[in-house]
Amino acid sequence: MIEVSHLVKSYRELRAVQDISFTVGKGEILGFLGPNGAGKTTTMRMLTGVMPPTSGTAKVAGFDVFEQPLEVKKRIGYLPETPPLYVDMTVRAYLRFVAELKGLGGAARRRDVERVAAQTNCEKYIERVIGNLSKGQRQRVGIAQALLGDPEVLILDEPTSGLDPAQQREVRDLIKGLAGKHTIILSTHILPEVQATCQKVLILASGRIVANDTLEGLQKANAGAATADGQPGPAPSLEEIFLKLTSA
Amino acid sequence: MGKAFAIAKKELNIYFATPIAYVMFMLFVVIGSYFFLRLLGAYEMASLQSMRMNAPEMMNRLNFQDAIFRNLFGNLGVILIFIVPFLTMRLVAEEKRQKTMELLYTTPITSGQIVWGKYLAALVILFCTLLLTITYPVLVQIVAKDQNGVEWRSVLLGYAGLFLMGAAYMALGLFISACTESQVVASLITFVLLLMTWIIGWSAQDAEGWVRDFVTYLATVSHLDSFSRGTIELKDVVYFLSIISLGLFATHRAIEAHRWS
Repeated sequence: MIEVSHLVKSYRELRAVQDISFTVGKGEILGFLGPNGAGKTTTMRMLTGVMPPTSGTAKVAGFDVFEQPLEVKKRIGYLPETPPLYVDMTVRAYLRFVAELKGLGGAARRRDVERVAAQTNCEKYIERVIGNLSKGQRQRVGIAQALLGDPEVLILDEPTSGLDPAQQREVRDLIKGLAGKHTIILSTHILPEVQATCQKVLILASGRIVANDTLEGLQKANAGAATADGQPGPAPSLEEIFLKLTSA
Repeated sequence: MGKAFAIAKKELNIYFATPIAYVMFMLFVVIGSYFFLRLLGAYEMASLQSMRMNAPEMMNRLNFQDAIFRNLFGNLGVILIFIVPFLTMRLVAEEKRQKTMELLYTTPITSGQIVWGKYLAALVILFCTLLLTITYPVLVQIVAKDQNGVEWRSVLLGYAGLFLMGAAYMALGLFISACTESQVVASLITFVLLLMTWIIGWSAQDAEGWVRDFVTYLATVSHLDSFSRGTIELKDVVYFLSIISLGLFATHRAIEAHRWS
């Protein structure tokens, strides 16, 4: 569904993303990890067509992100790091506007706005002005916006930041529920969340891929030394793997 | 085109959800009414005088178009210089600052649709602003019904000229707004730019020959005047349309450039 090959992005002399390649299959959830400044957001912004790469290619659903950006954008729902909200609009007016941008009209638009509002639990404050909402509520409106139009691919940049533990669980369940039907790239700093939702994990450090595997594969590869009687060592937690790989 | 309308609708939604449009409407009407009342007073004086002097030929020469509306449209044109920067400053700069530009960049719309949508909203606001002042000729028409009344054709042409001029200002303002993240910077630079297009006309008085013609041609106000007199000249229409296309083209470039930065 998503094929990235030899993607590079330089800002003047700073090389933010250095030659990364990976693929995500249909219906998979990929956990996108890495310390701050590792190039996660830059990669996501290139995949969604916000900015062009310095070199390399990326394909979403068979369309090249840079040759046919409109075709790709029709198939992607994107939640940026800062949810792109208009603080002077009500939640409903905002969702309706985004639906229009995505080409939904008439009854289909109304139905879809109701659907995503229900999915993200935004209904209670759908008539309120976004500027008056709390951070968690805004975050959920941001997720709702990405779900509009039922895109095949979802790219979520830290969807649970700013949410309280109960809301985090809600969003986690929501994302899990989307698996199978949607292909999802999920960037986050909350490692238990990855363990709970993602089949595959990709770890970036300083613009390079340091790990790209299933969770079990990673645990096997990074297992401690075998004990004297030939048993494999204890399986490390994702946190230990993360710290080990990104500190190098 | 539908998506451009969606953007225009969103812009209008925000214009009317925040005080900015209302404040600008009020400013325009308050200052405009002041000028209107002064011109009306002057007209009254002149007609009284001609009656007292029993000079019917002077009376005949007095008409609403020349005595009131031509000057009024000139004045309204100048007020536009002061209010347009505040109407356009938000259009693109705020999207950049609030990071909502990222939404526009990742939904299936083109930069052209963004520019058209925003410009369309700006034109609707301009239309509303000018519509508020239609009360002046209507009032004159009501009061002066037993005289010849208002020459509506000339008045409407004057409004057409004002609209074209405002549309040119809006296109420039939109471009400046697309160049910065700060609304304050956008409004200031737009204001200075519009002010220049007005005061450059003053320097024409000192110049001679082709320089004088050239400088006069550059000044926006000189192109408004033929409309206010009740005529349409091709060169004035071409002048305004060129500024509009230049402004929109430059805005499109600025939005594309921001994508690549």
